[in-house]
Amino acid sequence: MILALSLRSLLRRRSRTLLALAGIAVSAALLLDMTMLASGLTDSFGDLTRAQGYALRVTPKGTLPFDSEAGIRGASAVRRRIEAVAGVRSVAPTLGAQLYAARRDGTGEPLFTAGIDPRAQMLYVLTAGRAPGAGEIVASRPLAEAYGLSVGDSLSLAPELDLALGRPRGQRAYRVSGIGDFLYDYADERSLAMPLAEVQRLTRRLDEVSVFAVAARPGLDDRVLARRIEAAVPGVSVYSTESLMAAMDQRLLYFRQLATILGSVALVVTALLVGTIVAIGVRERFGEIAALRAIGVARRRLLLGIVAEGLVLAGVGCALGLPLGLWMAHRLDRILLAFPGLPARLSFFVFNAPRVAVALAVIVAAGALSGLLPGAGALRTPLGRALREEAE
Amino acid sequence: MTDDRPPAAEPVIDARALTKEYPYAGDAVHALRGVDLRVDRGEWVAIVGPSGCGKSTLLNLLAGIDEPTGGEVRLVGTLLRSLHEGQRARLRLLSVGFVFQRFHLLPVLSAAENVELPMAEAGVERGERRRRARELLEYVGLGHRLRHRPPQLSGGEQQRVAIARALANRPALIFADEPTGELDRRTGEEVLDLFARLNAEGTTLVTVTHDARVAERAERAGRVVEMADGRIVNSEC
Repeated sequence: MILALSLRSLLRRRSRTLLALAGIAVSAALLLDMTMLASGLTDSFGDLTRAQGYALRVTPKGTLPFDSEAGIRGASAVRRRIEAVAGVRSVAPTLGAQLYAARRDGTGEPLFTAGIDPRAQMLYVLTAGRAPGAGEIVASRPLAEAYGLSVGDSLSLAPELDLALGRPRGQRAYRVSGIGDFLYDYADERSLAMPLAEVQRLTRRLDEVSVFAVAARPGLDDRVLARRIEAAVPGVSVYSTESLMAAMDQRLLYFRQLATILGSVALVVTALLVGTIVAIGVRERFGEIAALRAIGVARRRLLLGIVAEGLVLAGVGCALGLPLGLWMAHRLDRILLAFPGLPARLSFFVFNAPRVAVALAVIVAAGALSGLLPGAGALRTPLGRALREEAE
Repeated sequence: MTDDRPPAAEPVIDARALTKEYPYAGDAVHALRGVDLRVDRGEWVAIVGPSGCGKSTLLNLLAGIDEPTGGEVRLVGTLLRSLHEGQRARLRLLSVGFVFQRFHLLPVLSAAENVELPMAEAGVERGERRRRARELLEYVGLGHRLRHRPPQLSGGEQQRVAIARALANRPALIFADEPTGELDRRTGEEVLDLFARLNAEGTTLVTVTHDARVAERAERAGRVVEMADGRIVNSEC
């Protein structure tokens, strides 16, 4: 009954309670977003790296994937050595390059082109057609839309641009064998993939790749396999998804610091809001509380009721803040992902249920503690004095 | 800490040599200067005196709300000094009823819920406490106001709800601190009629008042204890 009494006390001043709940909801939403931001990009990057089952990356020594123009030479031999390592399930080579397509006005448009092994690749997922053979390409959806391409159509590509005229030089027509979703492309990026040998020939980077993606056999720890490959293949760096995420984490320290500071501010604001509302309520009901103590209601039960007010405020605030936070995260994600060069499949805000649960639990606990302080203060007042103060 | 005497002879309140001092500006204010008071079962005792004479302080000590600087109080046979605060609260809950000048009803609860509250705290089962709350509110003439909340009731009605609440756990006695202080003459008389009825039916009453009408009614039914300057100066039977 004391708990019911506390809840009804909150409803006694509806406008005040609603305003407080709105404030707590906004703070909870901010904390939720900062929790999602603190590790969102890294988590999302990890998911992307593991896409298609390729969790390891083998790069030229000392470089991160596609971090420089450097390539792994003698790629065929390196590939064979990697494939020979125990625990390797599949090796997917990729050579990144730039080819040029002719626009309607004849000028050349640079397109990111990936040389891949159609039997083992992790760059795209086909949505139409089939894997490319000799003289064929898979176009990204934005490229297909921009050039009105369908499976079976042709696209002229050139390895070079005439700098004086701005026109592609040495064009050749390639048949579109498929259209796909390119996992690492930024929004609306026009890109394509074709057999590795063709890209090597066009760019005169024979027997060279930018990166190998490696898939491990089921049950084998990625880090163990990374060590094995590094030991077996000299001159390369091997990254497990975890180590790539750690590298990403280092680069995103700024985001984590920002998220920690803003999240802490949100938490403090919530605690202050709850504490203020409960303190005002307790002050207003000082006489009632003293009378309840006089008629014999135990102090701990009264305290429990007051703490419950804080808990309810924080809990309901969190419940309201959750959808608000998710909506805000969605909007902010779209703004942040508009920065050029970021893969569209990345996300700055990733909903991680255990972390979100901990963040919201911290808010609720802060709410309870905030109720505890004014409650304990009111109940610590000697009863005789409380009744005298009330009578005056 | 029960008394050794048989229950029939046991006073409801037995206070001896009570003193109470409050620290004030580095000195001590002597609110009570050695008070002895015995209240027997079924009595109506009115404690009267001018403002600041120590009436409310005495009531607080008798009810275990405050602790005396010296002396001791036995309330329904229990030496209050031997109890910690939680035990004193429990004793008040089960053995004492309170009626305050400002009623102190909970505005968010209905009249019936206000009466149920001490019973809920005492662990009385819901059905039983609802039945008894209705019975008590009918007893004080508010059977038609069960679902009304205090702000929807007049001052006299609120004080009657407070009296019903005081009776909830069938207390051995009721303390009333200026029970008519906030009421007009007519509603004050109604409340006093109710007190008289309760006392006639065997409820022990201790009222603190400076209202002559309360003293007069108590004098008719029991006795008046007159205080001045922290002492009992007259205790009429």
